[in-house]
Amino acid sequence: MEARGAETLRTYEEINEKIKRGDAVVMRADEFVEYAKRYGVEKAAKDVDVVTTGTFGAMCSSGAFINFGHTEPPIKMWRCWLNDVPAYKGLAAVDVYLGATAVSETRGIEYGGGHVIEDLVSGREVELRAEGWPTDCYPRQYVETVITLEEVNQAVLVNPRNAYQRYAAATNSTDRILYTYMGTLLPRYGNVMYSGSGELNPLTKDPGYETIGIGTRIFLGGGIGYVIGEGTQHNPKAGMGTLMVRGDLKQMNAKYLRGATIHRYGSTLYVGVGIPIPLINRRVAETAATPDEEIYTEILDYGVPSRSRPIVRRVSYAELKSGRVEVKGETVRASSMSSLPRALEIAETLKRRIEEGEFTLTRPAELLPTVREFKPLEVKRYEPRVKDVMTKRVISAKPADDVKTVARLIVEHGVDHIPIVRSDGRLVGIVTSWDLARALAEGKQTLSEVMTTKVIVAKPEEAVDVVARRLLQYKISGMPVVDEEYRVLGIVTTDDLAKLVKGRRGAP
Amino acid sequence: MKIKILYTHERVKHPVLSTVILKTGVPLNILEASISPSRGELVVDVPASGDQLKAVIEALKAEGVEVRELGPTIEVDEEKCVLCGACVSPCPTGAITLTMERLEIDEQLCIRCKACVIACPFKALSMASTSWEA
Ligand code: SF4
Ligand code: SF4
Repeated sequence: MEARGAETLRTYEEINEKIKRGDAVVMRADEFVEYAKRYGVEKAAKDVDVVTTGTFGAMCSSGAFINFGHTEPPIKMWRCWLNDVPAYKGLAAVDVYLGATAVSETRGIEYGGGHVIEDLVSGREVELRAEGWPTDCYPRQYVETVITLEEVNQAVLVNPRNAYQRYAAATNSTDRILYTYMGTLLPRYGNVMYSGSGELNPLTKDPGYETIGIGTRIFLGGGIGYVIGEGTQHNPKAGMGTLMVRGDLKQMNAKYLRGATIHRYGSTLYVGVGIPIPLINRRVAETAATPDEEIYTEILDYGVPSRSRPIVRRVSYAELKSGRVEVKGETVRASSMSSLPRALEIAETLKRRIEEGEFTLTRPAELLPTVREFKPLEVKRYEPRVKDVMTKRVISAKPADDVKTVARLIVEHGVDHIPIVRSDGRLVGIVTSWDLARALAEGKQTLSEVMTTKVIVAKPEEAVDVVARRLLQYKISGMPVVDEEYRVLGIVTTDDLAKLVKGRRGAP
Repeated sequence: MKIKILYTHERVKHPVLSTVILKTGVPLNILEASISPSRGELVVDVPASGDQLKAVIEALKAEGVEVRELGPTIEVDEEKCVLCGACVSPCPTGAITLTMERLEIDEQLCIRCKACVIACPFKALSMASTSWEA
């Protein structure tokens, strides 16, 4: 087998010669897919020199290094804000890194680092505020002024993780709307949100990373950028490679670099990335010809707030892009967080730039790794679980019990929640002291008349803070802890959690 | 067709809508309501067109309320819209369609729930004002 990156069909030099002469054959990835379908990959590989790709989506791991230049007298900034968004100052005196997800200290997630970057690229003035760490060489304590992109020395977009090869789609099994970084997820599998441009997606078209690596020249935010290595969380084994990229912000265009706010999640930056795939060998041509029908991803259930969300099903980008997806036997709407029309526009722009000789290709100094482990973070400190804090001695009642008996239980044991369980120990409902008060006032007799049957529950292995959040969400003060069979193991209340916090802080 | 009905304080106690529904046989659907002792304001969907729509409007006027036709409910700012689709599938009635060129909102299907306004990462959507002064 020929080596990865072997230039057996054409070399970079040959392609660049043709680009300079103006007779390189360039196709957008979607056009190439069609061409290969029609004439076969063999001929397509012979006829076409370069395939262009594109994607335009939320890329949270993005940001810019900026050097402001020195004030008179100079300042060693140790805290710095751009339009009230804090920039990272663990660098030299007037260098900062502005991250896309940093949020304004005055406006919250409505305005973040991504928006500052967009404002800069649009040529708007941005307010710079910084506190100094006065020294003999940097006497100034404070500075407040405005800057523009043109005025700063350097503004370089350096994104640690961009252009995911593919991304899992999202749905929601719970009975409430979820607001996630994958957008609004309707209850009970009400819709599917996805991301990525499928057959136009850069890394999808070269999954063996035969042409992409350190030094690959790319389209980035409207200007020219470079791949500077694998992105963080690069996970080739799962088909989820990523890129680290850099590019001069001064060349970029706000059309392809947009600040965004995802409701109840945070702010981010939408980045446009386009990569030219030179058809250097037969394998590359084959992968570049992969159609949406053969590009798969998984739909995950975001209703489960865990690192390993359950897979609902596998789905092709063709199905996702059709706007209708089958989930649990029902057809629901699917739509995208990233922009397909803009991805296409990027692939088209890159194609034109190559055809017109403005953009030539580079041979990577080092290809992206095809082996890399993607590890989770194990928490090595003690972390309380529900089973550690719950009250195990549960006072419960049966559905047939009468209201008075249960009222007595509540008074006797000083509890607020009485789970209602069947004779086999399974939970069927819950009553609180408030339910009982109402029942007595309304003259109701049996529990089945007053209990709540849709019970919010906790599982013994769940982390305490997740459960605390759930209590808040449903505005309740306690919930039964159940096993997989819905047998009651205990009850966890706000009191149990309060005790825990007290213990943790060591307060009296 | 969506209309806005403005009640003055004398009419607040009258069953205006039921009267009109009975008279015209058109099932009016209330989308928004704010009623105070002195005045009321309803946004109502009238599933009718042509003469039937005219009849409904006439019947409402005969009940002594003010009627205004409403323009598009959701406005798209095309400068801000990047044609992503983040607003499309969260729409509970399927009123939004995304094409390669633009975003289309079907007024007939829209129930003014604002899910799309919330879902848009670029604040490209807004709900047309329906306040008393509008
Ligand atoms: S307001 Fe609601 S119904 Fe109307 S388009 Fe937006 S999401 Fe759909
Ligand atoms: S979510 Fe906003 S930007 Fe995206 S298509 Fe809808 S209106 Fe346009």
